[in-house]
Amino acid sequence: MTDVVMPQMGESIAEGTIVRWMKKVGDSIDRDEPLFEISTDKVDAEIPSPAAGVVAEIRVQEGETVPVNSVVAVIGAAPGTTASTSPVPSPGSSSPPSASPKPSVVPAPARAADAPAPARAADAAPTEASRPTPVKAAGSVPVEASRSRPAPAEPLSPTQRSSPLVRRIAKDHNVDIGLIQGTGIAGRVTKDDILAFLEREKQAPQETRRGPAEAIQEPRMGDERPARDEVVRMSPMRKRIAEHMVMSRRTSAHVHSVFEVNFTQLAHIRDARKAEFERAGTKLTYLSFITKAVVEALREMPIVNASVDGENIVYHKDINIGIAVALDWGLIVPVIRHADEKNLVGLSRAIVDLAGRARAKQLKPDEVSGGTFTITNPGVFGALLGTPIINQPQVAILGVGNVEKRPVVIDDAIAIRPMAYLTLGYDHRVIDGAVADQFMSHLKRSLESWDSSAV
Amino acid sequence: MTSDYDVVVIGSGTGGYVAAIRAAQLGLRTAVVEKEKVLGGTCLNWGCIPTKALLEHAHALKVIKGAKEWGLLGVTSPSIDMAQVHARKNRIVSGLTKGVEFLFKKNKIDWVKGTARLVRKAGASSAGPAVVDVFEGEKQTLAPRKGIIVATGSAPRSVPGVEIDRKRIITSDEAIHLKEIPKTLVIIGSGAVGVEFASIFCRFGADVTIVELLPRLVPIEDESVSAELEKSFRKQGITAHTGAKVTSAKVDSDGVDVTMQVAGGRTENVRADYLLVATGRGAMTTGLDAEAVGVVMEKGYIKVDEHYRTNIAGISAIGDVITLNGPHPQLAHVSSAEGIIAAERIAGLEARSLNYHHVPGCTYCDPEIGSVGLTESQAKQRGYDVRVGTFPFGVLARAKMAGETEGFVKIVSDKKYDEVLGVHMIGLRSTELVAEAVMALRMECTVEELIRTVHAHPTMAEAIGEAAHATHGAAIHI
Repeated sequence: MTDVVMPQMGESIAEGTIVRWMKKVGDSIDRDEPLFEISTDKVDAEIPSPAAGVVAEIRVQEGETVPVNSVVAVIGAAPGTTASTSPVPSPGSSSPPSASPKPSVVPAPARAADAPAPARAADAAPTEASRPTPVKAAGSVPVEASRSRPAPAEPLSPTQRSSPLVRRIAKDHNVDIGLIQGTGIAGRVTKDDILAFLEREKQAPQETRRGPAEAIQEPRMGDERPARDEVVRMSPMRKRIAEHMVMSRRTSAHVHSVFEVNFTQLAHIRDARKAEFERAGTKLTYLSFITKAVVEALREMPIVNASVDGENIVYHKDINIGIAVALDWGLIVPVIRHADEKNLVGLSRAIVDLAGRARAKQLKPDEVSGGTFTITNPGVFGALLGTPIINQPQVAILGVGNVEKRPVVIDDAIAIRPMAYLTLGYDHRVIDGAVADQFMSHLKRSLESWDSSAV
Repeated sequence: MTSDYDVVVIGSGTGGYVAAIRAAQLGLRTAVVEKEKVLGGTCLNWGCIPTKALLEHAHALKVIKGAKEWGLLGVTSPSIDMAQVHARKNRIVSGLTKGVEFLFKKNKIDWVKGTARLVRKAGASSAGPAVVDVFEGEKQTLAPRKGIIVATGSAPRSVPGVEIDRKRIITSDEAIHLKEIPKTLVIIGSGAVGVEFASIFCRFGADVTIVELLPRLVPIEDESVSAELEKSFRKQGITAHTGAKVTSAKVDSDGVDVTMQVAGGRTENVRADYLLVATGRGAMTTGLDAEAVGVVMEKGYIKVDEHYRTNIAGISAIGDVITLNGPHPQLAHVSSAEGIIAAERIAGLEARSLNYHHVPGCTYCDPEIGSVGLTESQAKQRGYDVRVGTFPFGVLARAKMAGETEGFVKIVSDKKYDEVLGVHMIGLRSTELVAEAVMALRMECTVEELIRTVHAHPTMAEAIGEAAHATHGAAIHI
């Protein structure tokens, strides 16, 4: 009998979820034949059988999550053979782990790139996921070179083991324990580890503080600050923005995708209907069209209108669009609630109303909360495009660049058209590149081929 | 028997036999060389086991002497029959040493009966690979493939001016075999051995005097524990001279005249049946010839690194015979832990070094002592912002039922991070209760965690939770 354990797929990974069993009890299996598929917080992988024989027992059902090294199945001797003597390394055994001749871990295609770098580049760069990782004892997994200095946007391990004392010290110093390499049993972070980490931090401060209030104080100018500099305390709004922005960068795996949109059709419609809208007491702006088109694209792709809650994805039934409004003293994002229930006139009114009241400081607290998607418009100040930071706990944000006349090639002729760059900033934890691009294609199509009768 | 071994262990005490079993469990062919007629070394034969057996006898006598209070009828003038005491104690000891023999058989470990020394491997330079030469007993040369573990342990040693004759001036080795109860006993040293024998013979009816050089009894314990023990010993009638030393001891046919200099420079003479020297134990390396193969020694101890490697490749050492950096605790459980680490390293497993700060100390005097971590004054010396909490057993229900209300639990913590730095206890079951404190230190607990840990009622362990409460302000039941 051979125990099959949940393999350790990386130093910081403490557990894995069985997604699928490829064999059932009674099936015969060859050594290294895929037995089950797992999903961990870093990789999805097919796990090969450590021995040939018959699946005698399956102890963990699909969808269940168990700690690494838990026994998930038992392989019995194949019928007709004598007692199983298959040499299977077990934790604590001195025999070397069997080297699987082929990579036993296949990166799940859509998740291959966790980094904000273009997803396509991931194929070229060897990642942990593409490295052969035979099933072996805990502690023998090679340490990734990047672990000691992860990029700030890398998702932090929520399951890093530590001690009550370590958690207490981490709290006092606003340190994320997930950034510390543990030297204790099973990678547990010990008092010595965190004290050494704090010592290193003191010498080479880096962006590891959990509290953004601290983070934005760094780097400090210290004693070198010229005497004529003016020191002004942050306003509460400034502090909130600062905290929120840093928190968002730390929380989400930000990726940006830029699409160029031809505004010719919308320019025609807008010019034709402007007066009509003004008589109705509102303004017909490009932003109104964009908001309407976003609502429709969100309806098509609910994952973009979602939030992350721990290990769950929450799909929001309401579509509440936040519109970033620049103020002289900061920035605020009022929310158009139930934007999907409004037509173009309704949306235009809501935008004008909320922006006006934002500048007049007349927003109510519930008008700046509950958003499920945000649109920001750096183009109004002339920006060609923006790379906005996600408004947490949302998972995507649209940045609208300046609409300006540009020479474009249409049917092999150069023409002058009103064009703009639209950027989708999205959380790669839950939205993959292909999905984001489909969302943007949908948006682009709607905007470029607007049915003038539908205004 | 074959000489085809992976590992050869010299010495079968709690360090050596445990190392051998661990090595065998990991698939290594293992032999143990032991020169005594029994396995188990000091702990099983002359140390922990027989002394604690005697202490249980002393405790039984104490209970039966209180028969009237307990409502036990039919007890008149209880006394102790030393022949029966030794018979029972010896049964316990031989049961345990037979147990080690059984474990050797089970793990296919060979016991080579003889005395070993280290000799240079043929052709090796002066500081090079060595083999084990069994030069007495089952003579043979053992050249293990993976390593030699030296676990030869320690033996009692004396102080200048006092010569051990093993008749009237004795060590713990003789004290456990005393056929008679001495009328008067003087003990030099108040470490674990000294205070344990003081408790045993005081209960048995001897007139006991302890002479301690340092200013307090059990000097490695927290000051408050020392004070509590001195108070209890005074009540029991044990005379304790601290800051004192024995200047001469003259043996004659039926006793020993002990001259001591006590506090204030006064000289005192005591006529005793026996003088027990309990001033510590020195490494047992005589005849081992460790230096001849180039092993670096320090004050008679074998110098090792944190994974118990000597400077000579292939030679490891564990237990009472070693020194790491400075003094090393001579405790059976430390030797075992070191033996396991050494065996695992030799078998190729990852070696984790032992945190000596997390090693419990247990002293089985009456009242008994359990402690782990820093004492209050050690913590202060290290610059911690120290916060302590104490809970006396006197108000604890379980202690009252047992009629043993002496002692307390004291927690030493760091105010800054609420870290538990040390836990010190004296009183009933302290040697058992300390286990929770060891876990608290090992797991890096905060005092808050101890407060939130539910302690069953009524138990002695409640005192730990209460001491934690006291550390944070106030215990519930005071």
